Parts: sequence; C-alpha cells; structure tokens
Amino acid sequence: MTSWKEVLRDEIPAEMGNLIDIYEAQMELRKQGKLDDKVFAESRLRKGVYGQRYDNGQRHDGVRTRELTFPSADIVKGPDTLWDAPGMQRIKIPYGGLTARQLEVLSELADEYSGGILHITTRQDIQLHYVHIDDTPDLMRRLAAVGITTQEACGNSVRNITACSLAGVCHDEVFDVSPYADAMTQFLLGHDDVQDFGRKFKVAFSGCAGHACGLMKMHDLGLLAQTREIDGETVRGFTVFVGGGLGTVPHQAKVLADFVTEAQLLPLTQAVARVFARLGEKKNRNRARLKFLVAKLGIEEFRELVQEELKIVPPDERHTDYMEGLDDFVYRPAKAGMALNGAALPDGFGEWYRTNVYRQVQPGYSTITLHTPLGDFTAEQGFQLADIARRYVGDNIRLSVEQNFVLRWVADADLPAIYRDLQAIGLADAGAGAIVDITSCPGTDTCKLGIASSRGLTAELRTRLIEKINLLPDAVRDLKIKVSGCFNSCGQHHVADIGFFGNSRRSGNHKMPHFQVVLGGQWRQNAGSYGLAVGAVPAKCVPDVLEALTERYVAERAADETFQTWVKELGRKEIKAMLQPFTKLPSFEENPSYFSDWGDSRVYTIDDIGVGECAGEVVSLFSMEISRAESTHFEALLALDDGDYTTADHNAYKAMVLAARALVRTKFLDVGDDYNDIVHEFRSRFYDTELIYDRFAKGKFARYLFKRHDAAPARINEDYAHQIIDETQLFIENVHSAEQRINGVIVN
Amino acid sequence: MTTVPKRLGVKFSLKHTPQMQPDDILPIFQRWIQEHTVPGMLIDVIDYKHVPEGPGIVLVADEADYAYDLGEGQPGLHYVRKRDLPDSLPAALRLSFHHALLAAQALEAEAPGDLNFDFTTAKISFLDRMHYRNLPEAFAAIHAEITEIVGEIYGAEVEVTRVNDDPRRLFALRATIAAGQVDVDGISSRLRDSLQTA
Repeated sequence: MTSWKEVLRDEIPAEMGNLIDIYEAQMELRKQGKLDDKVFAESRLRKGVYGQRYDNGQRHDGVRTRELTFPSADIVKGPDTLWDAPGMQRIKIPYGGLTARQLEVLSELADEYSGGILHITTRQDIQLHYVHIDDTPDLMRRLAAVGITTQEACGNSVRNITACSLAGVCHDEVFDVSPYADAMTQFLLGHDDVQDFGRKFKVAFSGCAGHACGLMKMHDLGLLAQTREIDGETVRGFTVFVGGGLGTVPHQAKVLADFVTEAQLLPLTQAVARVFARLGEKKNRNRARLKFLVAKLGIEEFRELVQEELKIVPPDERHTDYMEGLDDFVYRPAKAGMALNGAALPDGFGEWYRTNVYRQVQPGYSTITLHTPLGDFTAEQGFQLADIARRYVGDNIRLSVEQNFVLRWVADADLPAIYRDLQAIGLADAGAGAIVDITSCPGTDTCKLGIASSRGLTAELRTRLIEKINLLPDAVRDLKIKVSGCFNSCGQHHVADIGFFGNSRRSGNHKMPHFQVVLGGQWRQNAGSYGLAVGAVPAKCVPDVLEALTERYVAERAADETFQTWVKELGRKEIKAMLQPFTKLPSFEENPSYFSDWGDSRVYTIDDIGVGECAGEVVSLFSMEISRAESTHFEALLALDDGDYTTADHNAYKAMVLAARALVRTKFLDVGDDYNDIVHEFRSRFYDTELIYDRFAKGKFARYLFKRHDAAPARINEDYAHQIIDETQLFIENVHSAEQRINGVIVN
Repeated sequence: MTTVPKRLGVKFSLKHTPQMQPDDILPIFQRWIQEHTVPGMLIDVIDYKHVPEGPGIVLVADEADYAYDLGEGQPGLHYVRKRDLPDSLPAALRLSFHHALLAAQALEAEAPGDLNFDFTTAKISFLDRMHYRNLPEAFAAIHAEITEIVGEIYGAEVEVTRVNDDPRRLFALRATIAAGQVDVDGISSRLRDSLQTA
C-alpha cells in the first residue's frame, strides 16, 4: 500500500526525513518494550508529541472514576501514559510566519487527524488535539514536505522562537527582528549545545521596548532590537535579557548585555545555552528553568560565566553566515499599496477598523488581526483563509502570541473587500486585542494539570462581553484578560490587567471550581510587570467579579488613569473587601450549579488531574543519544528485511558512529558530527585507554566500528548485511555497558 | 478490492434549525458516557461551539467521534470512524451508518424540543487524502460501488453526488434516496443484523 513516506520522499529535506524515520523506529522499539518509557517520552516530547488529559486511563464521569480500557492497554508511551490515548501534536511556527500553502497543509492534517480543529498557542505554534500517536510520523512528513518541523516543540529543548507579529511593518520598531528570529531558529534547531537542558528554554525577539508584542521580559532569553553608532556607522544589535519567566513563580528578566552586535548574537546565545546545560538544575523540576539559575548565581556571576564560556565556544561559520542573507529577507506584497478610496463601507467595518486594523509604516498598507476565539479555527476556515491570503497578501500570514491570525501587507483600498471575505468565513469579529479577545490555556479541556476550565470560563466571559461591547467605556474595552487553568501561567495571567488562574475549594463534602483573581499585570513594555493575586472566587462568580471590578474602575478612575495604577492605589485590602461577597460558598444542596465548571455539566472533581509533561523527562544526554543509535540500528534491520542491503549497511555503520558519539559526548560535548572526528575521539578516549574494553571480549566490539570506518565493504550482500547488523548490536551493547561502568546510572 | 479509507464519516443533517442550543447537547453527551448509550470506548466531551460552522459539541471515543456538528451551516449528527474499520468498504460503510443512526436516534429522543433529522440524505466523508483525493476520477472510480452499497443500506435507490469539487477538500459524497420515505428503524435493524452476521 502506498504511504506518505513513499509519496513525499523527494519533497522532504533529508535530515528532517531521517529524524522522522528515527522517531518512527523508536515508536516501534517502545511498542516492543525495547526502549525505556522515559527515554521514549522525552524523545516523543522533543518531536512535539504531547500527552493529554485522561491518558493515564482514568476519567471521572461525574459520578465515579471510570477506567478507560484502551486496546493497547499494556503499552505506554511514557510513564503512566497509555499508547492509544489521544494526545496533542505541537507544531512549531517560528515567529508565527506561515505561507498560504503551509496553512492548507495544516488544515488538511486537522481534517484527517484531529477532528477538523486547529489551535493557535501563545507561543505562535499550532496545536492539534486528540491525535493518535500512530498518526504522528505521517503527520510530521506531510509538514516537513512544506518546510515545517515539530522538532523540539516540547520537552527540555528550545521551544518555538517568538517575535512581534508586527515586526517589519511597525512604526516604532528599531528594525525588523524577523530574520534574526529565523536565523536563531535554524541555528539552534538540533544543535548539540541545546540537547542537555533540565527544562525548556524560551526565546523571544522584540523590535521595541514599549509595546507588548515580543514579551521578551518573561522569557529565558529575550532580545530587544537596538542600534549603536560604532566608528561612524550605525550597527544593528540587541539588548540581551535572561532569566525571565512566568510559571508558578514569575521572574522578570535581567539584562545580560546592553548591546551585542549581529555577529555576536548567536555565539552569545550558544554560550548562555552551554552554561544553562552545565549548571542548570536537572533533578528538581520545579527549579530547573534558567530563571532559577540566574537568581541563584546573581546576574553578575551568570554574566561572568557566560563571558568565560564565550571564549571557548567553538568557531562556527554559521555564527555570521546568516548575516549575508539578511538583505534577502524581503516581503512580497500581493498588491501595490493603495489608499482607502471612499467607497461605501460594509456594516460593522468602522468598529472592526478601529480594533483590528493597524496602519503599517509602509504607506498604503495595513496589517489586520483576525480575532480567533480561544485561538481555535476549523480546517475549512484554514482553506478559505489561505485563499483570502493569496488574493490579498500572498504569503504574509502570521500568528500572534494573543492566539490570533495576522494578515500583513493588505493594500488599504482592499480593506472593505477583505473585511467582507473574512465575514463570510466567520473571522471578521471586531475586538482584536481588546477585552473580548481573551487569552486562555487549554485548562481542564485537554491539559493533564488543569484544575479549572479556563476555556469554559473564557468562552462564557467572551459571550457576555460581546453582548455589551458597545456599551463599555474605552477604558474597559481595552483591558486585557488572560486565563490559566492552574497556577502554571500558560494563559499568561500574570501579565494581564485582569488575570485568573484555576484552583479549587471545598464546600461541605464537595469540591468547587475556583479562580484566583490576579490584578494589575502589565502587557505593554514587553510584559513590564506582573500582577498580584488578590483572592479566589468560585468559577461561577467570575463574570460578576469582572463586572464589579470594571464598573468600580470606571466610576473611580482619574482621567487617563491606567488599570494598573488604579489597582495599586486602591490597595490589596480594599480589593479583598470588594471580592468578599463573592467568596461565600453555597452548599451543594443550596446551589448545585456552583459545583460544575463552565462548559462542563459533570459534578466537579479534581480526580482527573494527572502528571504533566511540560517539564519533560529527566533523561541523561547519553540516554537520548544512544536511543538514536538504537533506532538507526532498527532501521538497518528493516532494510535487511526489505532486501535493501546497501541501506542496511549504511544504517548499521551510522548506528555504530552514533553510539560512539553518544559515549564521546559524555566527556567531550563539542565532538561535532564528522565521522572521522567521532571515531578518532572514541579511539583515543575509550579504546586506547581500554575504558570500552569488555571483560572477556576486550576491544573486539570497538574494532567492529574501526573496521567499517576504515574501509567500506567491497561487496554488500545479505550475509554481509546480517553480519554488520549483528556487530552493530554487539557494539551498542558494549557502549551501554561501558557508559554504566564509567558514568554510573543512566536514567534517574 | 476498494481501499478502506483510514477514517470514514457519516453525517445526517437536521430537517430544520431547532430551538435547542448546542449547549443543551453537552449534558446529553456527558450522560451517554455515564450510561454507555452509544457504542465505543467513550472518553470525553469537547465544546467547539464558539467556532463558526465547526464540529460543535464532540463526544470523543477511542474508535470514533460523535459530533453535534455545525459544519456547512447545517447542524447534524456527524459520526467519524477513526480506528478499527472493517476490512471492506461495504462493511465499513454499514458500520458507520449503523452507529450514526443509533446516535442520531438517541439524540432525537433525548434532546429538548424539536430535534428532527433528515435521514433521506447522508454525507459520507473519506478522511484519507492518501487514498482518496477529491478528484473527478476518484469519484468516477467509486461512484457505482458507493451507489450500490448505500442503496442496499437504505433498501432504496439513491443518488450520489460530490459535495465539493475543490481538490484540497476532503473527498465527500452526498447520498440521497431517489424517492419515498425512510424507514429508519428498518434500516437500523437490517444493519444490526448484517453486522452481527459479519
């Protein structure tokens, strides 16, 4: 039967195809019980394949906890994560940039694998939910054929690199950061120095200090565009921030360097990554983000360590090669810029224009934001939006960190027409970036850690706010609301004017869903300050709490007083008093509706909370790398079965080199990818020293590698292929044993 | 033998827009999980009603999804078989029709107000672009076979047309009985018998 692997063979870049093949082989090894579940879980996460609520096989149906008896119940894809349970596929869209064709392929995948729905995340990714793991290799191949990767989308890796969605068209930016975000994405993807982190690592670019769009102060690494006059020339560079992050304990990023030039950007980033990999916490997942290392060491000591590391970062042409391509990074509008020409405007256009249209710095062009409710859109909308994009803007599509689509380079004269076309597909709602445009994490809908229904609450608030949006004063209309389903801040509640995060309280013998109210966070100034938690209220009271807060703000605010200032001046005590009437909990008998969450008719329970995969698995670098060798060996076996002895030899040899490399990298991280270098280092460090020696076979297994490396086979036939595959297996076992002898326990 | 698609969908639309809101479906689907009302290993209920013309309210099972679907501006019951499809197209279609009918009938019985399905027409979707591209030649190749199978299911002559001619869209067909009334209970009974025999 034809497969996507065969059909797309010539359209997938070789390296991307190879990584997907390895992942598919790892899946097979896991199913056969030959790959450790934690190692597989981390490998899977690094391909963006994530767990989902109920994947431990338990779900409370409102009356009792039921066991979900999946067909392959005895196979797991990670600790307590059943193979057949639906999961989430995260798809990296660097700086949110999409082409029309890519949008079509994403829509095709949603049609076939995830019930026709796509979700835009706060990191400008696309997520597909309810995906079966068996479909993920084909899904990845179809993405790879249009230049999209899921590599390192989850797990302890460099996540999707974000950037302001107005980059390149903004009036206030210093320069367009898009090509730099692109270059850094290419440079860090799969880089050796980002494979051994204790937790994820998030990077953001911003073109200016004042707006919110880059949010770089809440990132592990934030890069703010700057220019300097050096020797009479204007030089581009960045102010570098490190150690920011939200999570349970939010940290503001600190300035690592006031100014680094374009040429210094990538090596400095590499140095930061190396320090984080070496000194970052690996055991305690709650303190493993870079922000804790920066806080522990202090920014001065961290800076010194980075500067020292910078001196030993190996030279790499890629550090500066990307600069030659910067001038090639140009936008190609679909049409010439033309002013809005006085033609009759459709109903609703005025309000939409006010909230969703941004006049670009380029005359005659605008950028429009498509208010995408809860970040969700259908495959059908995706196809039609691709058509609209081709008609008006070409490939100038972006995703924003507020979970919206952004179409750039719309000729102003086309605004009424594009508005009508967007109306026809349900994507012309006004209010982008306003109070109705609420950010939400998945919460209890799909997240294993969710405590309360952030999406249910968001949908309810949105419905109520839309009904009265025209009655709201401007000061309220422009407020930001952000909702998380738990304290982990995926909904970014810390940086909203009004934030909520889910928790629960007890009333009698029942649990009641609650939301903690967080007030006064700052979205602008790149997430300039974080809000304060002022008290928890029942989930069902949140709409009333919102109304009380906004009404009082409107009534009491001084002219032009911001919400942050008003909250600060009102004071925590007074706010607490304002919330007090909402905190009285009815009994179940008095009001059972309080004991169900928004958008869920079941009686509320927290029994469904599982173990999250956000933190990835604590797996050693060696375990990750040796698993690649084992998967490649498995590929060799498959080729042997197919009678393709040349490929079998190629993969067996490669598997031996990968195994040697895994061991070498425990002592020498910078060995690189060159086979000669790897074999040389392996020989000098482990063979000549006899560290690889088996008790009985001595250096025999290592010599299998040397023999194949020194001379390609004169004749490849079935017997030869059998032999080298067997030898490869023995060599990999030998490497495993040596690593355990030398370095101790592999998996924590 | 005709390839069985990786996933197969059958949708019955409503006769007219009901007074009932999609929100009313949520507790019904949650109850179906508690009471195992429809076949399958039922997992969860998802609310997508905020998405225009989207999948609406979805009851997710391991083998299939049951949705109160709002697609194409035509609310209806959409059954998508995702896994464990029988190994012949006629059997896969019979199974999908049977489960779609069961769910639609259960919804008619439990939903408040005037929820009535138009069983004279079924939309059949092939969620498998590898084997079924939405092209005229794919339609030509399968038209006679689908007409015969669906005709057998209905016990009546049917007319089969393509839903959309955009090659990017899913290959989907609309089967409508040529004339007369639909005996839904009779169809269900025949399908149940045929599945038991198989």
